[in-house]
Amino acid sequence: MIRVDKLCKSFGGQPVLRNLSFEVPDGRITALLGANGAGKTSCLRIVCGLLQADSGQVLVGGADPATDPMAVRRQLGVVGDREGLYERLTVREYLTVFAQMQGLSGAVLQEALDAVRDELELDGLWNRRTRGFSQGERMKVSLARALVHRPQHLILDEPTRGLDVLAVRLLRKTLLRLRAAGTTILFSSHVMPEVAELSDRVLVMAAGQIVGAGTPEQLAAETGCHSLEDSFVALAYGQRPVAVQTQGEPA
Amino acid sequence: MNPGVFIQGWKQMVPLLRKELLEAWRDRRALIMAVSFSLMFPVMLAGGTTFMVKKQSEEVTKVALLGAERAPLIRERLTSPNLDVTSLDEGEPRALLAGNYDVVLVFSEDFSRRYQDFRAPQIYLYVNSSESTSGRAQRDVQERLGALQQLVVTQRLAARGVAPRTLAPWRVETRDVSTPSSRGALILATVPGLLIMTLFVACLSTAVDSSAGERERLSLEPLLLQPLAGWQIIAAKTIAVASLGWLGSLLAIGALIALMPVMPLTELGIQRATTVSGVIAMGLIMLPLALLVAVLQILLALRSHSFKDAQTQLSIFQILPLVMLMMLDIAQVKLAESWQLLPLVGHQQWLKGLLIGDPVSAAWMLSGSLVTLALVAAAVMMGARALRRESLLSAS
Repeated sequence: MIRVDKLCKSFGGQPVLRNLSFEVPDGRITALLGANGAGKTSCLRIVCGLLQADSGQVLVGGADPATDPMAVRRQLGVVGDREGLYERLTVREYLTVFAQMQGLSGAVLQEALDAVRDELELDGLWNRRTRGFSQGERMKVSLARALVHRPQHLILDEPTRGLDVLAVRLLRKTLLRLRAAGTTILFSSHVMPEVAELSDRVLVMAAGQIVGAGTPEQLAAETGCHSLEDSFVALAYGQRPVAVQTQGEPA
Repeated sequence: MNPGVFIQGWKQMVPLLRKELLEAWRDRRALIMAVSFSLMFPVMLAGGTTFMVKKQSEEVTKVALLGAERAPLIRERLTSPNLDVTSLDEGEPRALLAGNYDVVLVFSEDFSRRYQDFRAPQIYLYVNSSESTSGRAQRDVQERLGALQQLVVTQRLAARGVAPRTLAPWRVETRDVSTPSSRGALILATVPGLLIMTLFVACLSTAVDSSAGERERLSLEPLLLQPLAGWQIIAAKTIAVASLGWLGSLLAIGALIALMPVMPLTELGIQRATTVSGVIAMGLIMLPLALLVAVLQILLALRSHSFKDAQTQLSIFQILPLVMLMMLDIAQVKLAESWQLLPLVGHQQWLKGLLIGDPVSAAWMLSGSLVTLALVAAAVMMGARALRRESLLSAS
């Protein structure tokens, strides 16, 4: 479980997170939905221990990234937004290095490598250096890196950005399988269909705060809207949905 | 830090070190830069010394005389070991200077008549002052002409019953104390600086790539998310960068030693050369320095805004210590022995001694190297703090 409690963070005097609180239960996919600049990436970076909060507390599996970052990093897999690979290493070398940094060795290491290779269909890329990989191939390798040590918690920042349909389908399949295995999954996105399709619970974020939480259906009921997009606009910007009148249809 | 924890920390660092080494040694551009610069300077040094010795052997001023039949005494007696005199029947001074000659002496038409009448005939001395050798050539010819003039004056005074000593209360004789040996020492004095510069150049590309480059390629963030302490990340990067720098300086030392037999060291007055133990010592003292240069370059590159900014900053950074070493050399400051504890200053002195086979204190080398390693440790800890800076993530 990930617990975020009254988190505050400012950059240059400009508040980015304001008393942000939420929980991400185990075995569920939770989406952090917000517009660009809502504070999603800052929030995830504090959860990972990359940034320090001004106040508030984060607990990842009971460990606080501010005081015990190593314990958090051992139980965390992270796929960042637009992250780079090591272009002079093959996929196998790349994943081996990260698995070893997580403490895997010997037969356990080999087993973990074989598992991510098969699950993420990396056979064709396995012995290729990562220079020149497509966006979809890069995402697969990044996801494999995040999963190779079988973390209890998985965090993804805008994971479908720039991906083709096959890559999105593979990502979706992987996340659903991990959910079934009990992994705690938190991902950020501003793409409504992706959030609607994947998440068990949506946290709507605006101006550094949670302005709504629930399943897509609960959010729709709460706001009196018919779609997640309308619910999001209503919660984040306080705007009611605009009735779109198409030709030949009654208003 | 508890030794057990420290050893465990090094063990945890091994996979990252392997990754950093693989990346560094597979960077063809960095490797080519390190190897080519390391080999270039010993080759240039060998070529330079050979050229210098050849030039020294050719330090004879070639003098052309026009109208020398009017001054037979000068024609016969001007020749000396450093003056090669040729009498020409005709020629134009400028054309002759543009050709093979350093100096052209033209005797005026009325030279014989005025000489016999004691009316100081004219001799025109042509030189091309834009040529680097013109000063020496002019001085050589004027000195020789002055000596001949003194001879004639002496004879004339003696013929009139006047003691020449009356007109010459003293004699000045110039003695050039620049010996081939001192010139050779000057050349060798530049070698430690060049060896240290090789280290800086060989480290530069990898240092930028593994810090500012990794940050710009957005691959630093996944690394910071691994269960490794900041010092482990900086230490692994430092060792990888230093490995290339050390390779560069070892190659340069190796090439220098290999080229010594073909270098005209004896002609330059260098009788002793380095020994095998001297070469090993040179290699060993360069290792802590390679680590220090590597970690400082990484620290600086991590503070840069971009890959290009890091390259610019590091290029300037590598000039500063070398300028300092050159200034110390030029100013010929006599430093106390304890200055050997200062990195670079100590290294320069040790390398100079080891290269020409002079005795170098092992105790000073050891204590100076330990000081360098202590500075490496301090810089690694500073790097670990730098990794916690939020601005490091701003690139993404």
